[in-house]
Amino acid sequence: MRTKILIGVAFASLFGAAVPVWAHHSFAAEFDINKPVKLEGTVTSMEWINPHSWIHLDVKGPDGKTANWMVEGGSPNILLRRGFTKKSLEPGTVIVVDGFQAKNGEYRANGSNITFPDGKRLFLGGSNPNELPQATK
Amino acid sequence: MTPSKYFLGASIAIAMLVPVFLPAQTKSWTQPKTPWGDPDIQGVWPGTAMVGTPLERDKSLGTRAFLTEDEFAKRAERAKTQAAIDNEETVSDLTRCDPGRGGLGNTPTTCKNGISIGPPLYWDDRGKPSKQASLVMDPPDGRIPPLTPEAQKMAAERIAARRARPCAATAGGCHDTWEDESLWDRCITRGTVGSIVPNTYNQGNQILQTPGYVVLRNEMIHESRIIPVAAPNNAGRPHVPPAIRTWLGDSRGHWEGNTLVVETTNFLDKTVIGQTPASEDLKLVEKFARVSADTMNYSVTIEDPKTWTKPWTISFPLKSEPDYVLYEYACHEGNYYMYNALSGARAEEKKAARNGR
Repeated sequence: MRTKILIGVAFASLFGAAVPVWAHHSFAAEFDINKPVKLEGTVTSMEWINPHSWIHLDVKGPDGKTANWMVEGGSPNILLRRGFTKKSLEPGTVIVVDGFQAKNGEYRANGSNITFPDGKRLFLGGSNPNELPQATK
Repeated sequence: MTPSKYFLGASIAIAMLVPVFLPAQTKSWTQPKTPWGDPDIQGVWPGTAMVGTPLERDKSLGTRAFLTEDEFAKRAERAKTQAAIDNEETVSDLTRCDPGRGGLGNTPTTCKNGISIGPPLYWDDRGKPSKQASLVMDPPDGRIPPLTPEAQKMAAERIAARRARPCAATAGGCHDTWEDESLWDRCITRGTVGSIVPNTYNQGNQILQTPGYVVLRNEMIHESRIIPVAAPNNAGRPHVPPAIRTWLGDSRGHWEGNTLVVETTNFLDKTVIGQTPASEDLKLVEKFARVSADTMNYSVTIEDPKTWTKPWTISFPLKSEPDYVLYEYACHEGNYYMYNALSGARAEEKKAARNGR
């Protein structure tokens, strides 16, 4: 396995995957790999703030109580360039979030996989500049 | 090498750094001038297209600065695969942790037991495949020169000091104080070099000119350098006194023909280039040479005889993109990362204490 990893890295540097000299912040510091969460809730607001956007949503827990969760999203600039607008995620929208809860136990999660109840994805990639930026809603 | 020899070498290296390796000026295009007669290099010049070009060159390419057609085709193919993987957009898809995908998914450091906790891949810009083998174009092998023995010793001491801390063994690493976070994570700066060198996302750059000044805005963390530029045939304006030191340093510009040359000194001794701390002797020489209506060659030569054994140069073309908007970047205000990382580390400590460790 170790050899495979090294080959992968060598291959990457030869043909162009950037080895991050300016490393992104540590997700392992914020979120707990042992606390996966699947949240279905109603959007209450979205914070368009740098360095990362945050989606707020009300989620009903198994005990019937509602908690307001915060889910981390990409930088607002990059979302805008992907075609995301303030209308893309209006309050009242129901979304499903797959992620990991914050280590501090608060109602915060990273939000890598966000879908609508019909399975459509919220953020559709398009990081290739040759593709048109788009959002699914 | 004695300091004087070092500087002689550095001067020769800089004198030879004509950006012959980047696009040459097109014959049909004439450099426009500002109303007061300076070359007009104003506009929005993002570096986004070059994000996917590695900083350092693969050793197997030697002194070859550009890829062959075959190598380029492979790079382009990888970019297509990367775009497909980015679109998968899932945390729990085990395939994203598979190093068999050539390192295009999440790296092993962000994978635990086959589950990825890394940032979603679609957050990052990937750029456009380029034939340029690496962003480092000098030394000729495209590799950052070795650190000086003194800098190597300091680096080894830093690593040893960090490893000696109990937090180093935890999954999240050390987050005892804000000083454990990078300058970038702290929303301070990605540095004068890091703000313009294509990396990750938000690569917008804008240049504005007024008589006697050039303003360079970088989108990343919202930097602006107001650079005094000497009028033609002027002796120039001196740097501020050595006691005055800042994160972005003190920049002074002048024109060499149509090329803007900017020399920056007076850095704080906490400056980093990538993840390597530079000394307060750091000096940058940047060149902005517009070669067509939509292309400007940019280069930065990094000289710091206390840190690197010789100067080195990063060079790449910037592309005009008039519709690109540099959005505001109030970073401190929304930086929940700091809170989450520090409070997360405290929660881990409490858990460890409860478990009697």
